[in-house]
Amino acid sequence: MLRTTLGKVLTGGSLSPKRVTAVVRAASSQTGKKPEQIEVFIDDIPVKVDPGTTVLQAAAMIGIEIPRFCYHERLAVAGNCRMCLVEVEKSPKPVAACAMPVMKGWRIKTDSEMTKKAREGIMEFLLINHPLDCPICDQGGECDLQDQSMAFGSDRSRFVDIDHTGKRAVEDKDLGPLIKTVMTRCIHCTRCIRFASEVAGVDDLGTTGRGNDMQIGTYVEKMFLSELSGNVIDLCPVGALTSKPYSFTARPWEIRKIDSIDVLDAVGSNIVVSSRTGEVMRIMPRVNEEINEEWIADKSRFSYDGLKRQRLITPMLRDNTGELKPVDWEAALLTVAKQIRNAGSSIGAVAGGFADAEVLVAVKDLLNYLGSEALCTEHTFPLDGSGTDLRSSYLLNNGIAGAEEADFVLLVGTNPRFEAPLLNSRLRKAYVHNELDVALIGPKVDLRYQYQHLGDSPSILQQLANGQHEVNKKLKAAKKPLIIVGSEVLARPDGSAILAAAQKLSASTSPEEQNWRVLNVLHKVASQVAALDIGYTPGVDRIRELNPKVLLLLGADDGAIEKSDLPNDSFIIYLGHHGDHGASIADAILPGVAYTEKQATYVNTEGRAQQTLVAVSPPGRARDDWKIIRALSELLGAKLPYDNLNEIRDRLEEVAPHLTKYGEAETANYFKQAQELSKGIKTQLDNSPFDVKLKELSDYFMTDSISRASPTMAKCVQAVLKQKQSKF
Amino acid sequence: MSYFGLDRFFTFLKTIKNYGGLKASLYKIYRMDSLRPGTLVGTDKFGNKYYENNAYFYGRNRWVEYAPQYGTDYDGSQVPAEWFGWLHYKTDYLPSQDAARPKYKWMMEHTQNLSGTPGQFMPYSTTQPKVQAWVPPKK
Repeated sequence: MLRTTLGKVLTGGSLSPKRVTAVVRAASSQTGKKPEQIEVFIDDIPVKVDPGTTVLQAAAMIGIEIPRFCYHERLAVAGNCRMCLVEVEKSPKPVAACAMPVMKGWRIKTDSEMTKKAREGIMEFLLINHPLDCPICDQGGECDLQDQSMAFGSDRSRFVDIDHTGKRAVEDKDLGPLIKTVMTRCIHCTRCIRFASEVAGVDDLGTTGRGNDMQIGTYVEKMFLSELSGNVIDLCPVGALTSKPYSFTARPWEIRKIDSIDVLDAVGSNIVVSSRTGEVMRIMPRVNEEINEEWIADKSRFSYDGLKRQRLITPMLRDNTGELKPVDWEAALLTVAKQIRNAGSSIGAVAGGFADAEVLVAVKDLLNYLGSEALCTEHTFPLDGSGTDLRSSYLLNNGIAGAEEADFVLLVGTNPRFEAPLLNSRLRKAYVHNELDVALIGPKVDLRYQYQHLGDSPSILQQLANGQHEVNKKLKAAKKPLIIVGSEVLARPDGSAILAAAQKLSASTSPEEQNWRVLNVLHKVASQVAALDIGYTPGVDRIRELNPKVLLLLGADDGAIEKSDLPNDSFIIYLGHHGDHGASIADAILPGVAYTEKQATYVNTEGRAQQTLVAVSPPGRARDDWKIIRALSELLGAKLPYDNLNEIRDRLEEVAPHLTKYGEAETANYFKQAQELSKGIKTQLDNSPFDVKLKELSDYFMTDSISRASPTMAKCVQAVLKQKQSKF
Repeated sequence: MSYFGLDRFFTFLKTIKNYGGLKASLYKIYRMDSLRPGTLVGTDKFGNKYYENNAYFYGRNRWVEYAPQYGTDYDGSQVPAEWFGWLHYKTDYLPSQDAARPKYKWMMEHTQNLSGTPGQFMPYSTTQPKVQAWVPPKK
C-alpha cells in the first residue's frame, strides 16, 4: 500500500525519517527551519506562497479558480484531465496547474489566449466521447462537465459525425446496490480510484487499457465493499457514478436543501438534507473540517428511505384484547396521564440512541417533578469511580480531527471502521500520511490499514496498565499517543475496571503537548453524550431495581429492557418515530419525529453540540418529542416552564451551558481526578475476551430503528453477503 | 260569501281539516313553511306525496310533501326520477299514466344524494403514500 503519495512529495509535505531515504533529495531542503516564501504573479497579481505550492493552490489563494476535473483537495494529485492547463510566461507549452509547483518569479496567466485555447481543446476532447444524455442524466444540473463546458468550452461545435458512428461506449459496472454506474459518461479523472485507495482503503477500483480504450472498473465484477463508498458519487465530476436509490427521483434545481446533522452514529457528521414535495430525496455531506471533512458514511447517506417506512404516525393505545389501536392525541395523552398519576413516583424513563437533548431535559424535568430519579440511557457506561460525573471519562477527548495528528493509537474493544467510519478515515489518513502506528485489543477486525493485533483478552489491557507489555514502550515513546476505548466493552460488567485500566495506562504516557488528551471513549449512538451531560444514569439497572409501574421509552429500541423485566401491571409508553422493538412492547405509543423533521440538539462523541434542522414536516399526527412531554406535563398538573424552542433551550443552557453552543466542542480535562477516583474500584477484569458487535461490513448497515426500516440498507446487507460467496 | 271573503276562511278551515287537525297543520307549517290546499295526485314508493292545485299560478301549482320519515331532513334528491318530470313540468302525465316510461329490470333503485353522510362517494388516491405507517404485530 502506498503510504506516501506522489502529491505529498510534490507539495512538499513533511516526511518521516523512515521514508525519507527514498526521496532524500526532495525532502532534505525542507527539513530544519521554515523555508522562505517565494513570490509569483498570477494574472499580474503578486502572491507570496510557500515553496512547493502548486499553481492551482497559489491561484486559489487570491480567489482565482482554475477549472479542474481530476484535482481534488483531499486526494493525491493525478494531473490527468489536463483541464487546469494555464500559460506560464516564457514557457513554450501550457502547464498543468494542479501538479506544477510554482517557481520564483513565475508569471502565470489564467485568462490568456493560450490558456483559453488549451481549455477549449481539452473540453472538445472530453466531449468527443461523452454521451449527450444530459437530459436523462442524474448529474444534470450539478455536473462539472456541464458547467465547465458552458464556461470554458468552445462556443461552436466541430462535431460532424451526424451518423453517430464513432462515440466510445463502455459497459456499465456493478458496484453494488448504492452506486449506479454509467461508464460511457466517465472522463477518466480517476478521483474514484484515488478515493478508494487513499481514503476508503479499498484498492478495488483501477483502470484497464490506455488512451481511448481506458476504462475504470474493478477488474473483476465486484461490489465496492466500503462503508464510505457513497462518497465517490459526490467526487465524480460527471454522471458516471450516481446514487442508485436517488436515480431518476429529483433534479437539483427542484430540491430544497437544509443543513443538518447526522445521528446514525455518534460522530455527528454534518449533512445536507435535500427534500422535495415533503420527502427526503437524498442526504449529502457538508464540509466540516473538525468532524467529517467532506465525507459521510454510507449508513448516514443512504438510510433515509428508512424514514419513510415503519413510521409511527398516530398515537396508539393497547385495548382490552391486547392489540394496539390508533387513537387521537387527546385520548392517548389522557390515558397516559392517568396511568402516570396512578403510578405516582414509580416511573422510569429509558433514553434510546436517537433522543435529542431537548426531550431528554424535558423528560428529566417531568420525572424529577413527579419524584422519580430513574432516568436511564439504553447504553451502559461504568458508574464506579468518577462514573459519569467527570465529562472527561466519557468523551472522545482529543476530538475527531485530533486523531489525524496522533502517532500511536491503541484501540481497546472497538471497531472504529463501523462504529465511527469517519474517525476511522482520520486514523487511516494518519496511517497513510503521518506514520501512525495502531495497536488493537479486541477481536481481529479489518480496519483497512495495518495494525498490531495484541489479542482480545482483557489480561493484555491489564498488562499494559501495569506497564508489563511490549507495547508500553511504544506508548511511552509516542509524542501524541491516543487510547480509544469502545463504549461497547465498557458496557460489560467489568467495564469500570476496563476504564480504570485505560485511565491508568493513559496516565503513564507522556504526550508532548500539554493539551493532548490521551484517553478517548468512542460512543456508538448519537444521544449518549447529551444524555450523560444532562444527568441520565447510563444503563437500565436502576429501572430493573425500581420495577416502575410506568416506563417511558424515548426511542429505546435495542431491547435493553424487556417486558419480562417489569411487573405484570406495568404500563410502557413508547415515544419515538419508528415501530420497532420498543413500540411492539408498548402499551401506549406517542409518535415523535425523526432527525430530519425536527430542530433538535445532539452532542457528538467528542462533546460537540450541534443541531438538526427541519427539512420535512412530520408524518401524520407525529409531533416534536419535547412538545409531547410538555403537553403531558400540563395534564399531570406539573406544567413544565417552557413553551417554545427558545425557552427549552434556555433550560438546556441552565443545565449544561455547552449544549447550546452549537458547533463548539466543549472539552473536559479531569483525567487526574478521574484516575484517583478509579483507584477505589473493586471490580476486577474478568477473563471473557473483548467483543464488538460490528465486525464485518454486513453487520454495519442495519444497527438502529431507522436503518433497520430501510430497504436500501437491507439490500446492502444482502449484496455484501452475496459478495462473500463470490471467489473474488 | 266571496263578497265578504268568508270563502277563504272556509278554505282555510277545510285545509286544516284535510291536514288532520290544528296540531298536524301547525307541524306542517313548522316543517314546510306553508299550508296549501291541494289535490293529492299520487304517492311514490318512498311515501312522498305529490299535490296539485291549479288555483296557484304555473310554477307553484305542483309540489311534493316529503314522507314523514325524512322529518325536517328532506332534500330535492329524495324525489325519484319518475316523479321528477311531472314535478318539474317536463310532462303533464303522472307516472302511472305515462305508457312510454321505460321500465326494465336492470334499472337501479333511486337513491338520494348521499353527500355529507357516511355513504358518500370518496375518491381515493392511486399514488403510494409517502410514508408507510407501522402496523403493530398481531398477537
